[in-house]
Amino acid sequence: MSVETATVIEVTNVSRWYGNVVAVNDVTFSLGPGITGLLGPNGAGKSTILHMLAGFLKPSAGSVQIAGEPVWRNSERLYRSAGLVPEREAVYGFMTGYEFVFLNAQLHGLADPVEATRRALSAVGMEHAEKRKLGGYSKGMKQRIKIASAIVHDPQVLLLDEPFNGTDPGQRLEMMELLRQMAADGKTIVFSSHILEEVERLAEQVLVIVAGRLAASGDFRAIRKLMTDRPHVFTLASSDNRRFAQALVGDESVIAVELGKNDLTVRTAQFSEFVRVAPRIAKEQQITLRELIPTDESLESVFSYLVNR
Amino acid sequence: MNFAIFRLTVRELTGQRRMLLMLLLAAVPVLLSIIYSLGDKIDHPDWTAGMLTTVVVTVVLPLICLILGTSALGSEIEDGTVVYILAKPVPRLQIVTAKFAAAALVSAVLVVPATAISGVVSMSGVPAEGLAAGFTLGVAFGVLAYTALFLLLSLVTSRALLFGLVYVFVWEGLLTNLFDAVAYVSIRQYCLGIADAVATVGPEDLDADLAGGVALALVVVVTIAALYFATRRLETLELSESE
Repeated sequence: MSVETATVIEVTNVSRWYGNVVAVNDVTFSLGPGITGLLGPNGAGKSTILHMLAGFLKPSAGSVQIAGEPVWRNSERLYRSAGLVPEREAVYGFMTGYEFVFLNAQLHGLADPVEATRRALSAVGMEHAEKRKLGGYSKGMKQRIKIASAIVHDPQVLLLDEPFNGTDPGQRLEMMELLRQMAADGKTIVFSSHILEEVERLAEQVLVIVAGRLAASGDFRAIRKLMTDRPHVFTLASSDNRRFAQALVGDESVIAVELGKNDLTVRTAQFSEFVRVAPRIAKEQQITLRELIPTDESLESVFSYLVNR
Repeated sequence: MNFAIFRLTVRELTGQRRMLLMLLLAAVPVLLSIIYSLGDKIDHPDWTAGMLTTVVVTVVLPLICLILGTSALGSEIEDGTVVYILAKPVPRLQIVTAKFAAAALVSAVLVVPATAISGVVSMSGVPAEGLAAGFTLGVAFGVLAYTALFLLLSLVTSRALLFGLVYVFVWEGLLTNLFDAVAYVSIRQYCLGIADAVATVGPEDLDADLAGGVALALVVVVTIAALYFATRRLETLELSESE
C-alpha cells in the first residue's frame, strides 16, 4: 500500500447511524501527513469516526479510504502500514509489557521482532517496566505500552483514540514529542480528544466534531480564533450593580448588559479585553467588584457556538 | 493457523480461575469410576456406558467446550482486547483457526484423558468391549464439533453462554429424546454414534441414533461449516465504541 500521495486519508460523505440514532452525519474531509486532532465533546461522534477510519465500523453511507484503498473489510492490507491505539484500557493483563509489544511485532510478521520490540519500548520510555505484568500497570503506563504496540511496525498512518487519557503531564509531553517526531518523518497521525488544550499543543490541523457533524476543520489557530472571538457571557456582582452596568455599557468590549436582582450578566465579544477592563472600570467608579465569572466556558458551549455560527 | 495467536489463546484459557472449575468437572467421571470400581462392580458395560453417556457426553464434554469455545474469542470481544489481533495484517481465517485450535486443544486435554481413564477404571477386571476406546474417540471428535460451534456462537451473540446451555440441555438433552430426526443436528449423538461404531456392546446400551460413518461425516461438516461462518462473521464484525 503506497502512502506517497499528499492525501492519505479520504472521508467522503460519511454517515453512520444505529437504528434511528445518527452518530455521524455526512462528514467529508481529507488529510495528509502531519498531526490532525479530532476534537469534540464526549459523545460527539469522534470515536465513531475513528472506528470507521480503523475499519471496525462500516459507514452507513459514504466511503472511507486510506492510501487510496477502502478501509472496510480490508484490515489485512490496511494494517501493514497503519497502527491503532484504541481508547479502551483493556490489555492482556497476564502478559508483561515486553511480551505484549513482541506479540504485536510477531502479528505484523516483522523480520526482526526482537529489535522492533526494543525500539518501540524505547520510543515510549517503557524499558524499565517491560518485565512487569500489564495487569499491574497504571493507566498512563498502559497508554504508553499501547502506543508502543501500535508503532512497533513503524506505520505510515497512526490512529489514536483519546491517547492522553490517564497520563501525567510529563508522560503527555514525552508522548506528544514522539508523535511530533513521527509527523516530522512524514507520518499521518490522527488522534481524538475532548480536551482543547491537548489538541492546541499538538495538532497542526483540527477537525471539530459536534453532534455527529463536522463543525469546523482546518488550521488550528484559525479555529481557535473563532472560538476566542465568539460572544462570551460573564456574571458579575458588585457593591452597586446598577451604576456598574451604566459604566460597562460605555465600553467597546461590551455588547450587552442585563441587570439582575443580585448580579449583572454581561455579553462581550472580547474575552481577554473584558477581563482586563471590568476591574479597571470598577476601580474608576469606586465600586467594589465582588465576582467576575465566565458562565459559558464549557467545551460544549464553545462547540455549540461553532455549529450555530 | 497463526501460532502467536494460538499461544496467546492457550495462555488466556489456562491462566484463569475457571480452569480450576473445569479440572474439577473433568475429574468427576474419574472419581465416579474409582468409587464404582471399589464397590460391587455389577454389570460393568451397562454402568460404564451409562456413566460415560450421561456424565461425560451429556454434561462434562459440552460444558467444558462451551466455556472454552465461547471464551476463546468472546472474552476478547467483550473486553475489547480483540482489537490488538484484528488491527493486524492477519487473515481472519488464521485468527479463527488459531482460536479454535487453542480452545479445542485445552478442551481435549481436559476431557479426553478423563474419558479414557474413567472408561478403563470402570471396566477393569472384565473384557473392555471397546467402550473406553469408543467413548474416547467419540469425545475427541465431539470436542472439535462443540468447540467450533460455540466459537461461532460467541461471534454471533453476546449471550453465547446462555444459548449454548439451551442448545446442550434443551435441544440435545430434551428434544433428541422426543424426535429421532433431531439426532442429525445433535453433536451428542455424533459422539455416541462414533463410540458405538468402536464399542462391541449393543447400540441400545449407548443410546446411539446415528451410524458411526454418518456421525463422523457430520462432525467434519459441522466443524468446517462453523469455522467457515465464524471467519465470515469475523470479517464483518463491528466493534462497538466506548464513548
